[in-house]
Amino acid sequence: MDYFLIIDFVQSLLDGLLFGTTYALIGIGFTLIFGVMRKLNLAYGAAALAGTYIGVAATFAFDAPPPVVFLLSALGSGAIGIVVYYCCFRFTPTHYPMASLLASVGMLLFIDEVVIHASHGMPLPYPSVFREATIELGDIWVRGDLLFVFFICVVAMAVLFWLLYRTPLGLATRAVSQQPRAAALCGIDPTRVNLLTFGLAGILGGIAGAMTAAAVGVLSPIIAMGLTVKGLIAVVIGGLGSIPGAIIGGLLVGAAENVFLMLRGVTERDIYVMLLLFLFLTLRPGGLFGSTAGRD
Amino acid sequence: MLALDSLSKHFGGVRAVDGISLTLKEGEIFGLIGPNGSGKSTTINLITGLYTPTTGTVRLDGRDLTAMAQHERTAMGVARTFQNIRLFGNLTVAENLWVAQNGHEQRRAHFLGRWFRAGGEHSPEIGELLKFSRLHSKRDVQASALSFGEMRRLEMARALASRPRVLLLDEPAAGASREDGQILAERIRETRDRGVTVLLIEHMMELVMGISDRVAVLNFGRKIAEGSPAEVQANADVRAAYLGSKHKDEELIHA
Repeated sequence: MDYFLIIDFVQSLLDGLLFGTTYALIGIGFTLIFGVMRKLNLAYGAAALAGTYIGVAATFAFDAPPPVVFLLSALGSGAIGIVVYYCCFRFTPTHYPMASLLASVGMLLFIDEVVIHASHGMPLPYPSVFREATIELGDIWVRGDLLFVFFICVVAMAVLFWLLYRTPLGLATRAVSQQPRAAALCGIDPTRVNLLTFGLAGILGGIAGAMTAAAVGVLSPIIAMGLTVKGLIAVVIGGLGSIPGAIIGGLLVGAAENVFLMLRGVTERDIYVMLLLFLFLTLRPGGLFGSTAGRD
Repeated sequence: MLALDSLSKHFGGVRAVDGISLTLKEGEIFGLIGPNGSGKSTTINLITGLYTPTTGTVRLDGRDLTAMAQHERTAMGVARTFQNIRLFGNLTVAENLWVAQNGHEQRRAHFLGRWFRAGGEHSPEIGELLKFSRLHSKRDVQASALSFGEMRRLEMARALASRPRVLLLDEPAAGASREDGQILAERIRETRDRGVTVLLIEHMMELVMGISDRVAVLNFGRKIAEGSPAEVQANADVRAAYLGSKHKDEELIHA
């Protein structure tokens, strides 16, 4: 095979894996919420993007430096996550799964409209860091901005793992996602845990949104669709409910989309990513790490 | 201390529990027996808040629990085990206890301590509960990897970790051998001696009649008898209720 083709391939794979950590974060968010509530929050990607817009609003308001923009994006998204919880999940009847699912679809469109209205549908510049920096490994270039994205996402995952596996908050979350009834009888308020999970997932989504925009240097309403769809594909591949699954799924989606981008071009890229989704749904519907164990 | 007042639960036309009144005294072991489908488990589910009663009230030391959520009732001092065990299968034995203990401590801790204080699974109280339930060697084993008997012991330890005032045991001896039943009886007595009032639902008559201070018998959702084990065994209505199953009747007589 042609040497340059191999270099191009490895380069695409590397870029895709680095950027795939944002999809992994979105996938983790879907999985966390599904874990405690056994419900899909389809407004999640849109809420993450709306949070990112809150961050960018700060650049207009007081010329905020990039770290502040990133932080506000994450916190804004967490706050919107809590709003979504109250609007679509807290008060919808538990025994009609369609109610909250459709409420979250409505919320997805609602948030999308609000964002388009507020931004006049125009892309906005988003602060990007280490744009010019690259590390050269022979003929492979590691982009500084993508490395930054990767680093931030991995730190976010590490903090999440610490929360989940080392603190009472994470313990309560894991208890509720395994046995909500027994958890309530251990004195845990499931509503409180659900609320905190939406906030936490929202923050992760905001980080993913901020890093997506930082990698491109531009914030645009169409990013919401990408976050939602790629995040969902990541969890389908990894197995809904599994955090390691969401991480592997996110990296796979990132890598696949970049390799298809190189091989087939930008307009065909997502077609193949979708085919990957159908392949998994048919051959391994539970995902790579999907558990078959149910709960009641 | 725990008082049920004309408690009823109807599922459509079925009166699973039909006007039951019971009062547990502080520090006693109270046996609740009855044929299958007589409303025993439904009663426990009403006490813990899994079901909302159609009519009637549940009180603990005079405080009305009827409108409270499950976790609030746990905070008041009600704990239970399940007939079909419900452990947190992916958590370790010690973590299972930590969940319940933390649920208890949360009510006193400030926000940061409540959610971010790490290492609670190594507290002395949990060590003591592990010893009590003979699970010390299994503390870091996943709950789903335990044997059936160990799971039952862990579930009871978890219920105790929330420091209950009244413990509801839903068929704790189901599937246990006679020897295990005796060990269980000992553990229930010890629990009572620590000041926990016990409501025991059980089919193993030997166990119920052996350790209960008082026994009530349910049939078709109604209480048909209440008294000391001897009084209940001598009761004609109770014999009639169990007569449908000869085996059960013999158990009742020979216990």
